[in-house]
Amino acid sequence: MTTTTAATASDAAREDHATGSTSSGRRRVVWRVGRWPAATGVVLGAAALPALAGPYVVGLASSAVVLALLAMSTQMLAVAGLPSFGQTAFLGVGAYTAVVLAASGITDGPVQLAAAAATSAVAAVVTAPFVLRTRAVSFLMVTVMIQGLGYAIAVHWTGVTGGSDGRHTPPVTLGHGHPLTSTPGVYWYAITVLAVAAAGTAVLLRSRLALIWRGHAGHEPRMIALGYRPTVNLGAAYVAAAVLAGIGGALTVAINTFVSPADLSFDVAAAAFAAAALGAALSGTPTMIGALAATVAIVVVRDYFGSNGTGPLYFALLCLTVPYLRPAATGLRTWYTRRRRA
Amino acid sequence: MGSTSATIAVTGLGGLAYGLLLFVVAAGLKLILGVMKVMNLAHGASYLAGTWLAYLFADGTLTGLALALAAGLAAATVGGAGLAALLRPLAGHTEQAVVTLGLVGIVVWLFSRISGGSSLTVPRPGLLDGHLSFAGHGYPIYHLVFIAVAALIAVVMHQVLHRSMAGIALRAAIDDPPIAATLGLSATRIRIAAITVGTALAVGAGVLGAPVLGPAPGVDATVLTLSLIVVILGGAGTNIRALLIAALVVGMVDYVGAVVAPGLASFSLFLVVIAVLVVRRQGLRTAVAA
Repeated sequence: MTTTTAATASDAAREDHATGSTSSGRRRVVWRVGRWPAATGVVLGAAALPALAGPYVVGLASSAVVLALLAMSTQMLAVAGLPSFGQTAFLGVGAYTAVVLAASGITDGPVQLAAAAATSAVAAVVTAPFVLRTRAVSFLMVTVMIQGLGYAIAVHWTGVTGGSDGRHTPPVTLGHGHPLTSTPGVYWYAITVLAVAAAGTAVLLRSRLALIWRGHAGHEPRMIALGYRPTVNLGAAYVAAAVLAGIGGALTVAINTFVSPADLSFDVAAAAFAAAALGAALSGTPTMIGALAATVAIVVVRDYFGSNGTGPLYFALLCLTVPYLRPAATGLRTWYTRRRRA
Repeated sequence: MGSTSATIAVTGLGGLAYGLLLFVVAAGLKLILGVMKVMNLAHGASYLAGTWLAYLFADGTLTGLALALAAGLAAATVGGAGLAALLRPLAGHTEQAVVTLGLVGIVVWLFSRISGGSSLTVPRPGLLDGHLSFAGHGYPIYHLVFIAVAALIAVVMHQVLHRSMAGIALRAAIDDPPIAATLGLSATRIRIAAITVGTALAVGAGVLGAPVLGPAPGVDATVLTLSLIVVILGGAGTNIRALLIAALVVGMVDYVGAVVAPGLASFSLFLVVIAVLVVRRQGLRTAVAA
């Protein structure tokens, strides 16, 4: 299984080489110069959204933040070479942690977030030794099972989750007990949490640990020969990803003041998996920016343009077209070069 | 006392039917996973498509059922070949999985357009519509026939895999693709055959199993999860017997659990998975990598 991953990695490297160093170099310069203005524009636009759009769009954007956290969680594992479909299970752990806290009178938002992060980290530590015996397709298979079992438990453990009917919670409070009820207020809270989580993720992905993850993704036998322990290092990725998903869970509760098994259903898992995968399919490697861009694309296409019921179809068409764009572009380029040479 | 044991017997038969249904679906999934090394997230959607065909053709006769089965097999052949073609240009596991996710989206969207988002009941063919009674408990004849048919499928699969040249070629392709290729076996042909037969098993299970587990929103995800659990518990290699035992355990736990202790049903399944994984320490790693 690792040999296939290594083969794909070396294929990608060869492909990069084939594109010619000048064009990729030019692209890199454009990226280096343009990324800060672009990032500032996105942040300002996101912060000003409640002034620019109606409450419906702002509500959609809030829900997109949760999907973005799930997609980042999925992508973090993808960086380590692990395709995960089951991050919704950790979203569930985080969400029901927040529900239990809210039910016992603790409505402080940051406290709920911290508790959700802690419980989902614990859940990841407990499950990691089993899940991390697998790689590649087997890992994907096991995480699909985890998603399904997580959903089933949410449906049946009615004492905590309220079953399919879900559970309502009081609005979260900030600081001195101000309840967060207005749509823009909830939205700003959500994007602040996303910004903090994204900053943490950015730091983590520039760390030595992330380099080790990439090493495991590229060629695990060599990493083991060098003395790295895959279960420990990939376990760290698994826990970090679970924390992101758990934060997303607590945020779901804060945004909707309600949580039900539908929040961790197959559809949600599919959207998160697709966001990460489509992001990676476009850029050729798993990147957080790709995952975030794909999240926005999915929410716009599926929930905004598809609000009349065609959303799932639009989502399906995204999944059926985007993965082919890169192979098609590479194919066209090879064909064109061959023609010019001939 | 007599009535209690009759209840247990009837519930047990229900679990048996459910387990065999899962076995047929899981065998198809295992075939696709084993040969193509692709996580087909649309496998549950194939089952859903089968149940919907059964609903469409159901007219209370066996002819209707046979027509539905024929239509299902035709659809599976076209769908399987199409899926093989769709997956061919893609290298990564995630890209391949996300394309199968797109197929799920289309099936689920079509189903919601047709059914209006509600569950449909598929009537049993008139000839098999009766009930057999055990000590005051009625048990549908259709389920008994279903048990017999699914058991027959299991026997046939075992024989084909272990006795026929096609089965030997398939096992070779699963166990060691490069060596199989050096022996002159066409990898492409085996891949297309595996994905077509695998899809046909899911669609066929959907057609025949529709009166047991009918077309409803979310049934695709349920079937996918349960058949995955069966494949994981069934372990490595092309071991039909282990897969059958795993399917029966999952079917019994899920079905009997739902009747005896409804609140515990999903936990009991979870506990079975954990128990098997803890006992069989190498189990997961070898679950797919045969």
